Amino acid sequence: MASDVIIETRALSKVYRDFWGRQKVRALKGLDLEIQQGEIFGLLGPNGSGKTTTIKLLLGLLFPTSGRALVFGRDAVDVSKNERIGYLPEESYLYKFLNAEETLDFYGRLFDMPASVRKQRVAELIEMVGLDWAKRRPLKEYSKGMTRRIGLAQALINDPDLIMLDEPTTGLDPIGTREMKDMILKLREQGKTVLMCSHLLADVQDVCDRIAILHQGELKELGRVDTLLTVADVTQVHARGLTDACQHEIREVISRHQGELISMENPTTTLEELFLSIVRDSAARPGRRATVASEPVPPASPSS
Amino acid sequence: MVIETEILPFWQWLLYGGSDDAFGALPWFFIAMITAGVVALLGGYLISAVRHGPIEGGDRTYRVVVGGLKNLLVLSPRRVYALARLTVQESLRRHVLVTLAVFLLILMFAALFLRIDQPDPFKLYVSFVLTATTYLVLLMALFLSVFSLPNDIKNRTIYTVVTKPVRPGEIVLGRMLGFAFVGTAVLAVMGLASYVFVVREIGHTHAIAAQTLQDAEGGGQKGRTETANAHRHDVTIDREGYGRTDSVQGHWHEVTQTGSREDAQYDVGPPQGVFLARVPVLGKLRFIDRLGEDKPRGISVGNEWGYRSYIEGGTQAAAIWTFDEVTPGRFEDGYLPIELTIRVFRTHKGDQDSIDRGILGSIVLRNPQTGLQSEMQSFRAREYYVDQQYVSRKLLDSDGNPIDLFDDLTHNGQLEVWVQCLKDEQYFGMAQADCYLRPRNQSFTVNFFKGFSSIWVQMLVVVAFGVMCSTFLSGPVAMMFTVAILVMGLFKDFMLRIATGDVYGGGPIESLIRIVGQQNLMSELNTGDVTTTVIRTADAVITFPMWVVASILPDFRGLSKVRWVSEGFDISPSLLAQDVSVSLAYLVGLFVVGYFFLRTREVAK
Repeated sequence: MASDVIIETRALSKVYRDFWGRQKVRALKGLDLEIQQGEIFGLLGPNGSGKTTTIKLLLGLLFPTSGRALVFGRDAVDVSKNERIGYLPEESYLYKFLNAEETLDFYGRLFDMPASVRKQRVAELIEMVGLDWAKRRPLKEYSKGMTRRIGLAQALINDPDLIMLDEPTTGLDPIGTREMKDMILKLREQGKTVLMCSHLLADVQDVCDRIAILHQGELKELGRVDTLLTVADVTQVHARGLTDACQHEIREVISRHQGELISMENPTTTLEELFLSIVRDSAARPGRRATVASEPVPPASPSS
Repeated sequence: MVIETEILPFWQWLLYGGSDDAFGALPWFFIAMITAGVVALLGGYLISAVRHGPIEGGDRTYRVVVGGLKNLLVLSPRRVYALARLTVQESLRRHVLVTLAVFLLILMFAALFLRIDQPDPFKLYVSFVLTATTYLVLLMALFLSVFSLPNDIKNRTIYTVVTKPVRPGEIVLGRMLGFAFVGTAVLAVMGLASYVFVVREIGHTHAIAAQTLQDAEGGGQKGRTETANAHRHDVTIDREGYGRTDSVQGHWHEVTQTGSREDAQYDVGPPQGVFLARVPVLGKLRFIDRLGEDKPRGISVGNEWGYRSYIEGGTQAAAIWTFDEVTPGRFEDGYLPIELTIRVFRTHKGDQDSIDRGILGSIVLRNPQTGLQSEMQSFRAREYYVDQQYVSRKLLDSDGNPIDLFDDLTHNGQLEVWVQCLKDEQYFGMAQADCYLRPRNQSFTVNFFKGFSSIWVQMLVVVAFGVMCSTFLSGPVAMMFTVAILVMGLFKDFMLRIATGDVYGGGPIESLIRIVGQQNLMSELNTGDVTTTVIRTADAVITFPMWVVASILPDFRGLSKVRWVSEGFDISPSLLAQDVSVSLAYLVGLFVVGYFFLRTREVAK
């Protein structure tokens, strides 16, 4: 359905020029994209591949050299589309001399929100991003993670339908990264559309429904994450409590069916999971060194 | 001070202009805006066509114009307020209050370098505080306004603002209003501090020691006051115990005696004749020449500045001012205060005609209808000195019969003042504004703050230019640009005269050649006919854009009212309204320009 298309680009191109109008870089070449309502869309690519340029074009921060960018069916340079958009820039470019409350109040005013609504919304968001304890401190005293959180809060001040996140997890510690990813998934549950760009592949893999891979300004791959990553001729079995005899039997079954056993081993957890579990443990029992070796961590569940 | 141009009533100025102007100020504003719009449209299309081809370029230009005009007036008060407030907070963070501290520091130490023993300390002090305030506030406005938006773009804080439903106009207007607020607040504090400073420094009184007074002829007393503010006065006290001092440093004091002769106390009042805001009522000037014939102007004595013309002494030549509405209701005190400033051109100098003594002249009041004249009053014309005459209502005519000023000498409220020079071979020079009636004074306090309003007006213009430039230039470049506008604005008049060819020496190229070749301004160019034609043609081509630029520039010299206040002239409400309108016009015009600049630029890199 056409009404479900939130973002549409048609042969979107961007050429950066110097002062004299000479061509410097072709940052984006004929990008065609459609992003549906309610999906988490990831833009992937190495540095300088055109991810941020695409987002800036969609926001109207840059003007396309040719082609069109439509957001909610309106031209991207049309300011009124911003009513329903939340944007978290690559680094949180906020006014350092304001404190968290003033910052959110300021952005609330920019959405023409009346004072009572603003007050309530500001309190909710500060609570949500967990900065209640630092809401009166000017942002220049904030750590990078805290700045990122307040950046996310300002992006959500208007309860947007479309959220654009530019490198949402850079500068965050693993806990922050996990919280950010959980937040993104929660936003999808609320029926919102999320467009994020990142070069941290693990993050994209964890949250995105669909991805586009850009390289040197060109679209190289586009599709659902699960489809793109499925290796069709390999089968993976996870099981618990198998004896050695049973494992041996399975090997035999595989060879009987002319299958090739690639590996059969005890899985290792990810470093992320290990780290998180140590931190959780330390928070629960402060003052003790976590004894990881004696308490094996459960392996990461594939869904998280 | 010379008020060369007539101050028109506000509405006439706004809608119709003076006798020399084709239009009033408002039509001019629209002409300028429309012209600028058309030029911008053509320029924008050309650039766009070069980049994208004629059709695509046309489409883009069309979208910019239509979308721009549609969004121009979509202004949410809450958003503008939020951005203005942010601007104020940012200014405070950038230590704008240092300006105030600097100013207060200057005032604290001003007494060290402003000498109170000047001939006119009032003028010195008032012009000092007004000038210092002007420079500080304009510099502050300049630095604040030009760096704010470029910094936002450089730090990319603008990203989080323009991705909200904020129109470019709101960003520009919020900035302008925010800086205007900061400037106003700073100016208000400076104004109050300056007022207190001037009143405290100039206001003074003297003590009189009773034993120093000596009996004078006719029963009064004479003596001297003690020294205060580096001067002392001679005192004359009459038999009833009322007296006054002589005039020193441009002021005098009233003296009252309390107590009886032996243990008398003398009270010296505050200085009179300073803290003035005179409201001059100008008349129309005409001349008659040495043979008694009417002439629109007097004669030239070869002075380059043709503002004043001269009458010859010891002949029938006279300067005649005709004043309207000379009625008893307007001059309630029962006398007619006339103030005269006469230039003297001496063909010989000597004891009799020394500059100290001045040249003898006469004033006669005349009924324009009946020709009845008052008895001649003589005065000595000294240059750079305002001669004050208080003509009482009961007068004698030229034959010595008693007459009434208002009943006999005016016709329908019209009165003629004839001024003649009595000394042979000396000349009096005058212009229309040199003789005026002074029915009343305005409050000095009000006038002082009107002077500060004129600084406020200039501050608004600087802020508007600064913000406009910062929408498309980087901070330092925007600053240079705005400084250039400020400096050229100070010389607007000169630029206009060069552009219209009113200055000797030709246009820019011709002047350059004259300077390099060390040629006289008045002589013909010696470059040969063909070259001269080429130079003149090139100058004609250059002077047109020069005229356009100079016409648009703000006239900072005209907007400054320092001399009005320091020389004790009331800034008329009409003049103040004109200046405020001018600054509003700049705000509106530059807002529109800034809006389009910001709208058509990419804020991201």
